[in-house]
Amino acid sequence: MEQKSILDSGKYLVTLQDRVSYLADIKGGFEWGNLKELFERVQELRTNLFEYSERELLQQIYSLEGRIEFAERQVAKRLRPIEIVNIVRSVQRFTLLDILENCYDSFTELGGDGEFNIDPAVIAARATITRRVKNRLYYHQVMVIGHEKGMGEEFRNGGCAKPWGNEKALRYMKVAETEGIPIHFYIFTPGAYPIEDYPGAAQQIARNLFEMAKLRVPMISFISEGGSGGAEAIGLADMRLMASRGYYSVISPEGAAAIEGRIKEGGKVPRKLVEHCAEQLKMTAKDNLELGTIDRIVEEPPLGAKRSDFKFFKRLRYEMVRATDEVVLKTKSFRAFRAYALRRQSQDKEKVFNDEFDIHIKWTLSESEKDRLLEIRSKKYRAMGKGFKVLKRPFSKRLTRFWESTRHKYYDIRYGLLRKQSKNLQKILEEVSSEGSVIFKTVTESMRAAYDFVFPAPQKPAQTSQQDPLRRSIFMQDWEQYISPLANEDRTVTCPNAEKYGCKDLWVPDLYGEYSGVCPTCGHHFPLEYQWYLENLFDKGSVREFNTQIVSDNPLGFKGFDEKLKKAIERTRRGSAIITFDAEVLGIKLVVAMLYSDFRSGTVGSAEGEKFIRACDRARTTRRPFLAYIHTTGGIRIHEGTLGVIQMPRCTLAVREYIDSGGLYIVVYDNNSYAGPVASFLGCSPYQVGIRSSRIGFAGPRVIRETTGTDVPPDYHKARNALKRGHIQGIWDRREFRKNLFEALMTMGGPNLYYK
Amino acid sequence: MKKEKVLIANRGEIAIRIMKACNELGLDYVVVYTKEDRASGHVKKALKERGSQAVYRISSYKDPNEIFSVADHSGATAIHPGYGFFSEDFRFARRAALRNRPITFIGPRWEVIRDLGSKINTKRIAKSLGIPVIPGSDEPIYSEIEAETLAEELFLKQKEQGIDKPSILVKASAGGGGMGIEEVNHLDVFRQVYRRIQNYAKRQFGDEGVLIEQCMRDYHHLEVQLLCSQHKEVVHFGTRNCTIQSTGRQKRVEVAPGFDPSIWEYPFDARKVLDDMVKYSIRLAEKVEYDNVGTWEWIVTRDGKPYLLEVNTRIQVENEISACISRISRQRGPVNLIKEQIRSALGEKLNFSQRHVSFEGTSIELRIVAEDVKRGFAPWCGTITRFEFPDEPWVRVYTHVPQDEPYEIPTEYDPNLALVIVWGKDTQEAKERAKDFISETIIDGKDSRGNGIITNLSYLYEKVDEVLRF
Repeated sequence: MEQKSILDSGKYLVTLQDRVSYLADIKGGFEWGNLKELFERVQELRTNLFEYSERELLQQIYSLEGRIEFAERQVAKRLRPIEIVNIVRSVQRFTLLDILENCYDSFTELGGDGEFNIDPAVIAARATITRRVKNRLYYHQVMVIGHEKGMGEEFRNGGCAKPWGNEKALRYMKVAETEGIPIHFYIFTPGAYPIEDYPGAAQQIARNLFEMAKLRVPMISFISEGGSGGAEAIGLADMRLMASRGYYSVISPEGAAAIEGRIKEGGKVPRKLVEHCAEQLKMTAKDNLELGTIDRIVEEPPLGAKRSDFKFFKRLRYEMVRATDEVVLKTKSFRAFRAYALRRQSQDKEKVFNDEFDIHIKWTLSESEKDRLLEIRSKKYRAMGKGFKVLKRPFSKRLTRFWESTRHKYYDIRYGLLRKQSKNLQKILEEVSSEGSVIFKTVTESMRAAYDFVFPAPQKPAQTSQQDPLRRSIFMQDWEQYISPLANEDRTVTCPNAEKYGCKDLWVPDLYGEYSGVCPTCGHHFPLEYQWYLENLFDKGSVREFNTQIVSDNPLGFKGFDEKLKKAIERTRRGSAIITFDAEVLGIKLVVAMLYSDFRSGTVGSAEGEKFIRACDRARTTRRPFLAYIHTTGGIRIHEGTLGVIQMPRCTLAVREYIDSGGLYIVVYDNNSYAGPVASFLGCSPYQVGIRSSRIGFAGPRVIRETTGTDVPPDYHKARNALKRGHIQGIWDRREFRKNLFEALMTMGGPNLYYK
Repeated sequence: MKKEKVLIANRGEIAIRIMKACNELGLDYVVVYTKEDRASGHVKKALKERGSQAVYRISSYKDPNEIFSVADHSGATAIHPGYGFFSEDFRFARRAALRNRPITFIGPRWEVIRDLGSKINTKRIAKSLGIPVIPGSDEPIYSEIEAETLAEELFLKQKEQGIDKPSILVKASAGGGGMGIEEVNHLDVFRQVYRRIQNYAKRQFGDEGVLIEQCMRDYHHLEVQLLCSQHKEVVHFGTRNCTIQSTGRQKRVEVAPGFDPSIWEYPFDARKVLDDMVKYSIRLAEKVEYDNVGTWEWIVTRDGKPYLLEVNTRIQVENEISACISRISRQRGPVNLIKEQIRSALGEKLNFSQRHVSFEGTSIELRIVAEDVKRGFAPWCGTITRFEFPDEPWVRVYTHVPQDEPYEIPTEYDPNLALVIVWGKDTQEAKERAKDFISETIIDGKDSRGNGIITNLSYLYEKVDEVLRF
């Protein structure tokens, strides 16, 4: 310090000023402690730099620095979650480009150069990362994909990826897969940019998740700012690291506060409530590690790493290489991995950080190792996010497990082994019969009889069956069997399209009875309760619920949520927002998962995710079609924090495995379907259908207005527009739901369905 | 018994006939009318008889909400739908019965209207009772393979019967009134037509069910008039022949009874055919416990086979020709079916049975319409300046066109001018009287361009000669 000239002091004062304003960033303003005074002091020294004698100045700086250091220690001593959020948002925090510059030896950006980019918020780059082994350098090629917040660069959009940005990310993931190099993801996003233009915010994230579920290369993700769905778009990795001063959350604390406080649009959200939500959401690295939504924390300096924190970059490089090593080694053999991990562990315990590696590990995988990689990935995600309660059941767990495994075997034999045999035999019989030879006839006939005995004709619902309720008189309608309670009122309602189409006022008993809640003039669908679908969509008495013992919980201990949950359970007499059941449609057995609005607006948390996955697996083992009927979903349940978010990759993985097994996964959206679920396990289905008058999207109009600053037309999310944008494959009329579903079951899907 | 008040939810001549029936039964009534109908006879008559509080202006005869509002406001206890509009709307009848303030719907129970309102359903019930129906599907077909098999079968059957040019009809099952029907003359074009109708049905009615039937040619269109009560009484009032129709299948001349072997020779036993039709009609009515007036529509082919077409669960325009030839032994004067309909709907017993009913003479109904028969029965619009017709004891005329002042035909509705019911002691006399009536009727009028009125009088005159001839 003593050697510093006055000019150096000027530069040094700038860094001091940065340090003070950084503290102000963290504390949300200069009101905290003596920040204001410190800031003014630095300012004063800077303006009057030449008024002081050198000695005086140095003394001043010295004491000032001491005070700033003291303030920094004070702040670091107790960092509240909201302050961590502020750290992440600070302009002084490191960005992806800093990482590319400092952790990688060289990199070539793909598909972009600053502003000239399909989406400057997303960066993809081919990069080289080095490993030092006994003073020798080894080079690894990797694909780096991540968000660039571009502190101060407006065009980066703060790291909010547009749909086509995520599409670009997916494209380069596939390049990496083709070339067999690992992918390093860097997540720096407050959330995805909520616009529906093709390929669509939700749909593209869903597509990314669907592909990542089975991408055949090691993937490592590093989270600094993990804003819900936007983070998941490049977040489904084999190893998830997180910066110690990063946050990973289901929603921004401000967003959560607006929902919790029921703040009207444009209203001011109280700061106290925001801080409260930040705490309740359990969004810090430590929280997430405890919740099991990340694998490891990368230590930062106490107040977070800034753009020129070279020590941190060194550490990060080491952690990325090590994580990749581990993922690669796990696919090879468990013993190799354990040896490696143990060695590293002992090294980590040493006080001095050493970025040297003992051995060089190649990151290329053989095909069988890739299979194992996917297997491990599947297991990993299935074990995550289990924040639900299991109610005790009278019969023992072991018995259930036994039954599950038996059933698995039964269906394997029934539809796998035997069916293959039966198909072969059938083929032979057909070939022989087609000869038309009289000599063969007696032979084949007795064979045919024996065959029919061994393999009774599958109960395929015939198109022309007399009992077929769909083909019955148009007067023997379902409304005679189940009438919505909404119909019990002698009054009329006006169709919202009355002015446009001249619809007459509808008598409520007609509307909710015979008309199935559909305006007969214009086809507008009035919402109906989910029970209507349970009664009218499936064969009478065929609905058998399962997994009711899995119920929603308050895994984060979110204050005030217990009461809300209790109320929902009392009101609906159900334990979660999802109903999973076996059912039949005109004799075809299928598995159904139904998200419904009455329970916390159909939001998805751990219990819902778990039940969905189990339903999906059930469909896979029993070789039945799988229908996800979305009566309504409001997104991921914010009260479960990242335990809710993690359901997105979890469920998508299960869906992917189901579809790959040759099943049929149909998603039907009704009423309102938004956010996380649409952006993952629903949006990834090849067959998505909207019921007329339903709304489908990523974020609601309010969030769009608040994040993009532009308004959207009232029919922005309507099914018809979703169809126009290519997000769904069709629109069904509620009155034809059953018929269309039956036709879909008969004509679509993979080869592994039990009736095919 | 409480004093009943009937809301007449219709217009024109049927409204007038219902008013008359109410007057004869000593019932109170209210009428409704739209802006276009303010000068119509039914409004004038109601104003004259009941004053302005019995007359309600509404925006449409077809909006149930308005009708029920009027009913509640006027304190009506029953609604007579007349024909058309709500007469066969089971939803309207159901709403009347199920609302918080129930109103008697003058017509059959809503369940009956619903079940017989569908031709397919009627056909199925009829088939199960051994009543002959037109060969073809008795439920909507959704699968192309099934449809083609049936079409092939129908063609084959016709060939076997030696029918010269076999053909079938493909119809939208949810359709009606001649919409969505196409004829197929050759099996090769069937698939194309089937798909077209299926698409049309889906677009138009939201249900892609299709019906396939043998196409009948060379037939007569007959009807059986029934009157039933809520006390399981069933009485028939003979048959009618409605074969003379416009190109749009609108009836123009109707005759009761259905056939007359004393004036024409038929290639079959006409007496037996009529008896069979009546017998079958009653069988179906008893099965569904029919409880009001109704018309069973039949077609009779040249080989003397009757086929049930459909059931009209309402009073029909031409009901009075059946009434005209019917006599009830204990009652004086002719029967009034509208009166009987109202009584039956209000829950009364018929107080006569089939053995009290006898038939006398022939009655012909002529529908005088302002239309250009030569130009495909195109309706004529304009103002009627003069409307005169002979007043004879053997004729009854129902018209909403005033005789004392010019009348502008509202363009919103069919240009029906008058219904003329002529009676004669036999068919010959009825025919002569009908022709006399037509010759002495004078209708003058002008359209907006000053051209003279065009009516179907001369067409009717020609057609009267042909009635009942196969």
